[in-house]
Amino acid sequence: MRLRLPLALLALILLAALAGPMLLPWRYDAIDWDAVRAPPFSPRHLLGTDSVGRDLLARTLVGTRVTLAVAVAAALVALVIGVTWGAAAGWIGGRTDEAMMRVVDALYALPFMFVVILLMVLFGRSILLVFLGIGAVEWLTMARVVRGQVLALRERPFVAAAEAAGAQPARIVAGHILPNLAGIALAYLLLTVPQVVMVESFLSFLGLGVQEPLTSLGILVKDGADEMDIAPHALLVPGLLLVTILVCLTLAGERLRDRIGG
Amino acid sequence: MTVYAAERLGVFAGETPLVRDIGFSIERGECLALIGGSGSGKSVTCLAPFGLTPLRAAGSARLMGEELIGRPERALRAIRARDAGFVFQQPLTALTPHLSIGAQLAEAWMQAGAPRPERGALTAALERVGIDRAEERLDQFPHRLSGGQRQRVLIAMAIVHRPKLLVADEPTSALDATLRGEVMALLSRLRHEEGLALLLVSHDLASVADHADRILVLNQGRIEESGAASAVLAHPASDYTRALLAATPRLTDPAPTLQDPGGTVIEARDITVSFRRAGWRRGAVVAVADAALSIAAGEAVALVGGSGSGKSTLARAIARIGPADRGTVLWRGAPLPPRGRMTAALRRFMQPVFQDPVASLDPRWRVEDIVAEPLRHLRPELGPAARHARVLEALDEVELGEAYAGRRPASLSGGQAQRVAIARAIASGPELLLLDEATSALDMLVAGRVLALLERLQRTRGLAFLMISHDLAAARRLCHRILVMDGGRIVEEGPADRIISAPRHPATRRLVAASA
Repeated sequence: MRLRLPLALLALILLAALAGPMLLPWRYDAIDWDAVRAPPFSPRHLLGTDSVGRDLLARTLVGTRVTLAVAVAAALVALVIGVTWGAAAGWIGGRTDEAMMRVVDALYALPFMFVVILLMVLFGRSILLVFLGIGAVEWLTMARVVRGQVLALRERPFVAAAEAAGAQPARIVAGHILPNLAGIALAYLLLTVPQVVMVESFLSFLGLGVQEPLTSLGILVKDGADEMDIAPHALLVPGLLLVTILVCLTLAGERLRDRIGG
Repeated sequence: MTVYAAERLGVFAGETPLVRDIGFSIERGECLALIGGSGSGKSVTCLAPFGLTPLRAAGSARLMGEELIGRPERALRAIRARDAGFVFQQPLTALTPHLSIGAQLAEAWMQAGAPRPERGALTAALERVGIDRAEERLDQFPHRLSGGQRQRVLIAMAIVHRPKLLVADEPTSALDATLRGEVMALLSRLRHEEGLALLLVSHDLASVADHADRILVLNQGRIEESGAASAVLAHPASDYTRALLAATPRLTDPAPTLQDPGGTVIEARDITVSFRRAGWRRGAVVAVADAALSIAAGEAVALVGGSGSGKSTLARAIARIGPADRGTVLWRGAPLPPRGRMTAALRRFMQPVFQDPVASLDPRWRVEDIVAEPLRHLRPELGPAARHARVLEALDEVELGEAYAGRRPASLSGGQAQRVAIARAIASGPELLLLDEATSALDMLVAGRVLALLERLQRTRGLAFLMISHDLAAARRLCHRILVMDGGRIVEEGPADRIISAPRHPATRRLVAASA
């Protein structure tokens, strides 16, 4: 199966990010005063340490964990908003549908990064706000896709049969429409996660995302970029990890979508 | 002169034979029809020798004396471009929506190896297949054309390079009866005027009887029977052919004996349905205008008409599962509330069965839950045990055993899925079934068995039917009365036999002529 390779790689990364920090002697924020700026493959630090002596392997694993957690949470927020909005528009139809979809079009046109940055500046930085903000931005595609599916499902004869069978509209939506959306929604959920990873990394890179000493892949890439001339591995390791995650998620999402036929 | 000849032709999927030991030949200007149920191998027999399927063909197939079997892809393409044309089933989806008719026709021409054709030549090609205002059509896009016109364009594309053989794989089965007749007449004209040999795959026995010279009956990949069309249809030698013929109702069948209907159960008056045009634009399309009908207990009424005549819309409005602008529906004299306010007690009397059996079952539900759905809502007094018993009873009545209860729609054949849909419709004990083209998506043998099942339900349960169909012969087999719709209005109404023997309205005459 062509889905298997990207999913297996993702599972491996996830496992490392979850279990890895527990197996390491160093915490992500612990400073090893005896080994500041240690090179890779030094006796106590496999990937060396950063400019204040924190173990880079521990920081990379924890950063991956934070990035993925924020991305999954934000994608779930996007899923909930997108499915609710899209399903409501598609099911109600008519002018309501037109109006709701024009709202989506209008939101598409806004410069979202700017809105998220404004939110961060106004309300201060917190992980909660980061993923709520990103989730509130990334639901638009989901809403469009779900609306299209609902429009198609609504015309399927089994919906008419359910109505003739006396099922109330809420029962039809819950029993026939939403379960048949699950596959396509999962595919787009997988496609939303990498977008959120990008946004989160970008915000962190700008210093607006996760706060020190907690870290994320974006922060690590930024720190690495600051020292790329003396310690290129500090940029390469989190950078490559980020690219791998993005490529795997996108491939898995697209292949799943093609298989479902959305 | 022999155009195409097959000898000991076999088609294999891997090592599994799908078709074996087929032999036939087609002369210039002749039409050979391949008939058989689904899975009988009739399509692959026609397409595999030309390399149009991923399957492997063996034996011998010669087009204009040239062997096709075992030739490489390039050689087959050259042979197809020179001597063979192909027409397929789906005229609605076979044209590219964003290219004009002229552009697609020109492409077909160039694919056959000719230089870019003149506009005059394109116009002539469309006129050759009987398209009116051909010059203007060249610049139109496929959505402006009706299904029949699109099939004509596809035929024009298939014969633009003057092939000797035209392979037509169910060219009319997606079209309604009137259009079927027109398309078949066009193919016959091309045969007679231009000496085109026609290899026709069909399950429409009526048109085969009219247009084919010889018939080959296939069953499970083998020739069951072959011979002159009139002889095979009049005196079938094999049981399989007899079953095929018996399954297909024809207008020449003796009149059925139907039970006498009782008092009026449902009466609809002044039903009008219109659809708003898409987007913010104003205006509406009137789909049904001031339609009225009544059905008695145990009576079967057919609603016939071409595609787009509004018959499904009317039936759905009456059953309160579709929109209606105005009009009243009386159930045993008492008016039914509008769609949104129908109560379970009223829904129980009317249940629908739809055309596409697979789409009418939720793919995520088990058969048991599907059949139980109306019971859950319409017979809430039944407990889980009683409900389960009713489900099994309903499945038994449609000749599906208990074993089917746990299956999902994806594992059912078309005929089984339609039986499940019928079980769902009868589970709550309705008095009227709405049959919306309930047999027209099924293979002919299966359709025949479903018709027989409906006949039995009509007898044993005293069910009334409102049967929507474009097939007059099927309507006549079950129905007392026929209502003909055209352009959103009911234009003629009367006893089935009178409508068929003495049609009055032009739309009815067209339908009868096309079905005969």
